[in-house]
Amino acid sequence: MLDAFSRAVVSADAKTATLGTAEIASLRSYVAEGNKRLDAVNAITSNASCIVSDAVTGMICENTGLIQAGGNCYPNRRMAACLRDGEIVLRYISYALLAGDASVLDDRCLNGLKETYIALGVPLQSAGRAVSIMKSSATAHINETNSQAMGGTRFRKMETIKGDCSSLVSEAGSYFDRVISALG
Amino acid sequence: MKSVVTTVVTAADAAGRFPSQNDLEAVQGNIQRAAARLEAAEKLSAGLDKVTKEAGDACFNKYPYLRQPGEAGENQVKVDKCYRDLAHYLRLINYCLVVGGTGPLDEWGIAGAREVYRTLNLPTAAYVEALTYTRDRACAPRDMSPQALNEFKSYLDYAINALS
Repeated sequence: MLDAFSRAVVSADAKTATLGTAEIASLRSYVAEGNKRLDAVNAITSNASCIVSDAVTGMICENTGLIQAGGNCYPNRRMAACLRDGEIVLRYISYALLAGDASVLDDRCLNGLKETYIALGVPLQSAGRAVSIMKSSATAHINETNSQAMGGTRFRKMETIKGDCSSLVSEAGSYFDRVISALG
Repeated sequence: MKSVVTTVVTAADAAGRFPSQNDLEAVQGNIQRAAARLEAAEKLSAGLDKVTKEAGDACFNKYPYLRQPGEAGENQVKVDKCYRDLAHYLRLINYCLVVGGTGPLDEWGIAGAREVYRTLNLPTAAYVEALTYTRDRACAPRDMSPQALNEFKSYLDYAINALS
């Protein structure tokens, strides 16, 4: 498993070179944005159950066949497995966002996931749809653009200082996209 | 590669939980110290050749017998290899400073070093002397800020302890 720093080190080692000013500059931005990153991770983890249940609910609303007899979210046992998997995927994405590198997500979550789902008969398209709803939801939570209208009774806004989180949002989005393309 | 973030993530993953407040605090502490580490890494990288040369010269000054026939520095090729090894250790220290942990030194420098040196009949005392000279020679604020120097010296000490 690597993080932003060890990723830089591994690629420098491949060239037997030290990390000089140029390479260190990008790491300094990780350090400068450190608090934002931790807030972003916190935004995901603190709202994890909301993000996951919302995504699975949304997936089922768009395709109600899933909870009818013979559907992949019927009966409760399989619905529970679905919620559990959503949480696992979100958890590995939160690790990747904390580390600033996708290797933990790739190695420990996505490696073999598609093959496993195919073997178990899990519909990949539905799983991908749930992940893309999680992406929208997580983006809203990191950016704090979530609203009463979207959140309903579970609406909750974190009280952090406003700032420009666009680079973190796009980084987090890239991890969700990674999951979706791994399932596609 | 062991670093604060990977350690925290490994522990969280083993327990199957999201990163907790404790985990985020640990990473936060690491980030706060990062400025000094990165400064030290940058300065070391910029002066690597000079530092290597001074360290190697100090080592051959203290142990002139190394240049005699049959010893580790009997000809220029072998002497060059000594300097190369020193540059190698300093490069790994540069990596450690970037990562904020001893992972690179452990994995790429220390693991198996003792066995290799015994097989090749190389004296580790010479490396210890060179790295000790570097440690004592470095000074703040001439070379880098005091906090950065502190980080740099702690990794030099780690390498010295591993070789002695």
